[in-house]
Amino acid sequence: MMNCEEFELLGLDIDRADADPREAAAAAQHVEGCARCSALLESWREVKGDLQLLREATRFEAAPARVEMRLKQELRTRREARVLPRRTAVIASWALAAAALLAVSVGWVRTHNQSVRPAAVPESANQVAGVTAIDSNADENETLLAADYDGGEFTQLPGSLPSESGENSIFRVRMQRGGLERFGLPVDPERASDWVDVDFLVGEDGHPQAVRLHQDSLVAAVAQ
Amino acid sequence: MVDENPDVLLKRAVRGDEQAFHALYQRHQPTLYRYALRMTGSPWAAEEVVQEVFLLLIREPQKYQAARGELGAFLFGVARNRVMKHLERTPRELSLDVMNADGSAWREPEDPLTPMMIAEKRERIEQVREAVLGLSAEFREAVVLCELEEMSYEEAAQACGCPVGTIRSRLHRGRALLLARLEMLRDAPRRASAGAK
Repeated sequence: MMNCEEFELLGLDIDRADADPREAAAAAQHVEGCARCSALLESWREVKGDLQLLREATRFEAAPARVEMRLKQELRTRREARVLPRRTAVIASWALAAAALLAVSVGWVRTHNQSVRPAAVPESANQVAGVTAIDSNADENETLLAADYDGGEFTQLPGSLPSESGENSIFRVRMQRGGLERFGLPVDPERASDWVDVDFLVGEDGHPQAVRLHQDSLVAAVAQ
Repeated sequence: MVDENPDVLLKRAVRGDEQAFHALYQRHQPTLYRYALRMTGSPWAAEEVVQEVFLLLIREPQKYQAARGELGAFLFGVARNRVMKHLERTPRELSLDVMNADGSAWREPEDPLTPMMIAEKRERIEQVREAVLGLSAEFREAVVLCELEEMSYEEAAQACGCPVGTIRSRLHRGRALLLARLEMLRDAPRRASAGAK
């Protein structure tokens, strides 16, 4: 049996769907014999009816469409913000790849040109100072020793400086190729015994500055 | 699409899929909006709450962890926090005119009642609305969830993150205050006390 205090606490749940059946039965039994609690229940049912009206009046309330529009705009903004850096990264990586390809191509062309192009031949002894660079980076198989180089140009001797006055003399000497070692030029031992005509470029001080294997020397050697 | 798993929808929405977002939004916003509206009494505040809840979902989706509960419960929790903050920082807003969310005047649904009956009904609704808004936040929340949203005690307790006993206690107190206020508003006290002291 429920008393008035318990009814005030639990009895108003009598109409709820999730009310405890035993509590609801006890409350119903109490209210039959208690005018005060009966009036309380009646008042509550009236309020509950009003709450029902309020619930019905606002049952279909929903946020206005502008809220969804604003949210979708935010969604779009964020999506674009995500896509933009990705696109930029793609463009940047393509640009980097293109730059790398270009650099490799230029490098290859330069290397190729240097290995194929013969060194410039000076027209006269006066021009010899600026020339005579044998490509030291050339392939090992294609390496030319200065003393073997029959290209018809002067090779600067080690330790000598080009003459600034330009008043040089050329002396032709017939000698064995191995003799060029004395002037600091490397010589292929297998060809050291070859006889060659050598032009020496001698400066004002009487010291040889550069050397050139005469172009006819090989022919001459064969003839001999 | 609408029947799709909410977690899948959320992932798609966060990636920018507007259809997925629309499905999620339409599924959850009415509940959140009604709750916020009934708690704050202000369509503008309710609109702001809904917007903030979904903005959070868009901007920080990682805050929702499926392992810890359903998306609906998470969104409701966020909405509840926003509502409580709103109630803390602003005095209770009671609109003099009954307005719809879009700002238009409240319109009685099609009802075969005489104008007199419609006016009386409207007055009753307004009185009970005012009485609910007059309750303190915790009692109001218990009334809104258990009486207006028709949640069970367990559901309301879960939504508020408190024990069932606390919800029942708050509801008991809220009902008593509601009865007293409505009797006062209608100037027709039928009984001296219903526990509202």
